[in-house]
Amino acid sequence: MSRDRWSALGLALLAIGYLLAGRRYALDTLATPGPGIVPVVAGLALLGVAIWLFVVAGSVSPARSVGGLPETGVAPQRLIKSSQVVLAAALVLYAALLPRLGFVVASFALVVVASRLMGLRGWWRPAALALGVIAASHLLFARWLGVPLP
Amino acid sequence: MSDLFVALTPANLLACFVGTVLGTIVGVLPGLGPAGAMALVLPLTIKLGPTAGLIMLAGIYYGAMYGGSTTSILVNVPGEAASVVTTIDGYRLARKGRAGAALAVAAIASFVAGTFSVVALQLAAPLVARAALAFGPAEYFAFALLGVVLLANLTGGSRAKSLAMVLLGVMLSTVGMDPLGGSVRFTFDLTGAQAGLSFVAVTTGLFGVAEVFASMTEPATTPVARVRFRELYPSREELRRSVPPMLRGTVLGFLVGLVPGPAATIASFVSYGVEKKVSKYRHELGTGAIEGVAGPEAANNAAAGGGMIPLLSLGLPFTPSTAVLLSGMLLMSVTPGPFLLRDHPNVFWGVIGSFYVGNVMLLLLNLPLVGVFARVATIPPRYLMPGVLVLCAVAAYSDNNNLFDVWVMVGAGIVGWAMRALDFNPAPLVLGLVLGPVLERSLLQALTIARGEVSGLWASGPAAVMLGAAVVAFVAPAVSALTRRIATRAV
Repeated sequence: MSRDRWSALGLALLAIGYLLAGRRYALDTLATPGPGIVPVVAGLALLGVAIWLFVVAGSVSPARSVGGLPETGVAPQRLIKSSQVVLAAALVLYAALLPRLGFVVASFALVVVASRLMGLRGWWRPAALALGVIAASHLLFARWLGVPLP
Repeated sequence: MSDLFVALTPANLLACFVGTVLGTIVGVLPGLGPAGAMALVLPLTIKLGPTAGLIMLAGIYYGAMYGGSTTSILVNVPGEAASVVTTIDGYRLARKGRAGAALAVAAIASFVAGTFSVVALQLAAPLVARAALAFGPAEYFAFALLGVVLLANLTGGSRAKSLAMVLLGVMLSTVGMDPLGGSVRFTFDLTGAQAGLSFVAVTTGLFGVAEVFASMTEPATTPVARVRFRELYPSREELRRSVPPMLRGTVLGFLVGLVPGPAATIASFVSYGVEKKVSKYRHELGTGAIEGVAGPEAANNAAAGGGMIPLLSLGLPFTPSTAVLLSGMLLMSVTPGPFLLRDHPNVFWGVIGSFYVGNVMLLLLNLPLVGVFARVATIPPRYLMPGVLVLCAVAAYSDNNNLFDVWVMVGAGIVGWAMRALDFNPAPLVLGLVLGPVLERSLLQALTIARGEVSGLWASGPAAVMLGAAVVAFVAPAVSALTRRIATRAV
């Protein structure tokens, strides 16, 4: 099965889950519409589009440009590298540890890990980069602008 | 009108300068686009106050259009989607030793088009805003729906995927309080979600964090052609040949800018297509013709100005960048739309005035400093991107001082990375997120006013025309594809 068909299936499941979760909100009447109306319309529409995508993915070559315009959006990245998966995990850990470790320690660790995953060698350069980023953020946002840091 | 001079106060001039420099750098760097960069600096701009803050955000927006051409010409790597077409002739000109001339023509075309679009914006936005005062909920619903359909048609790639992304954005916009009754929806007992998903967190995730993931699969450095200052003068012949495509691109770009979707990108392609048909030198296009730089560069800058009209006069953004601008305005308690001119004339005219100033600054910056900006493009992502992650976290958190938004940013970043891998464009999702509440509020209000009669949605002339156009825009591509298929089978 093609990637587009898997995507269509994922979208259909998402739409069904959304519709099920939205059942608890009242529809009321069209004259006094309740908070459930738009979720139902949006959920059903996404389900319809997912079915459309599933059908189209099976019959037409994928991602044909529309109206004679070449594909100009974000360039698709077909390769998933293990370093990207590690970075995703590091980001989840960052969000989880931010309240416990604080901005400085958590961000230092994130920049060191991210820069090493991106190919910066050794430990001194990632550490110096992390210190620079944190010092700059602290000076610019916390000191100068008074923006609270996480 | 005298409020135009608000842009000339020292604070606003500085904001404009910083915005245009940041915008040029963002345009030069492949990857992080203007929408992501604008979302990253939102916390900074909020502290500057509405006028200076919005001037800085707008500077990033149109500065990126200028900067995007530099790497297209020197490196053959477009910094921005809107500069993709400039690589075709721009890079070939560079290889012929005419990089300086191409850069100068790109800067002059951007300046001419930018200035034209500001004049048109200055004249048209108040008129549209006045006309929009007659708009009721049904008209707003019809206009937003038409925008969504056109957006899905013009985003490029699969229409079904674009529509799915718009709908996903609308669904995400239903998280939190509903816009009319105040009921809390889809929060799953998470306190942080009650105010809804932070637009800044979603945008920084989709455009910032996802870009960091993408940069991990891209080449580390790119060679750059050297340009000397004395080479920046185009020959008289090159200048003469640039004028007609520049003017055509300017008018075309401004008109395309009014249409929802990635207007600047579309405008540059339309301009190139027109030059291939009407230019006296069309046979040279694709081999390093100056027309291939002048037309598209004028068009994408004019489109950036045109895209401001729906935002300033109707409060409806149709590009991710103008959506961030809308978000910035709302955070600064400025509501764009028909009443913006009445309630905040300083902001309205100050931002428009800054466009004039910004265009001059960009011309002065881009000509002598082009070599410096080109060098920025060679900084390896491993030095820049880890810092972007921290900036994303700061921007997301500072929106509501809420750690939940950092989780949203991380989630949006991972989803955005997956979307790129599966060929889904994140721009329609962001616009669905912004337009969702407008669609919901106007639909429910229109239904209530019409006492539940669905026909109330198309009872007025303008609403009927816009809904009709939305239906045609939705059905036409499918009918056209079906006709083509039948014709192919018949052959």
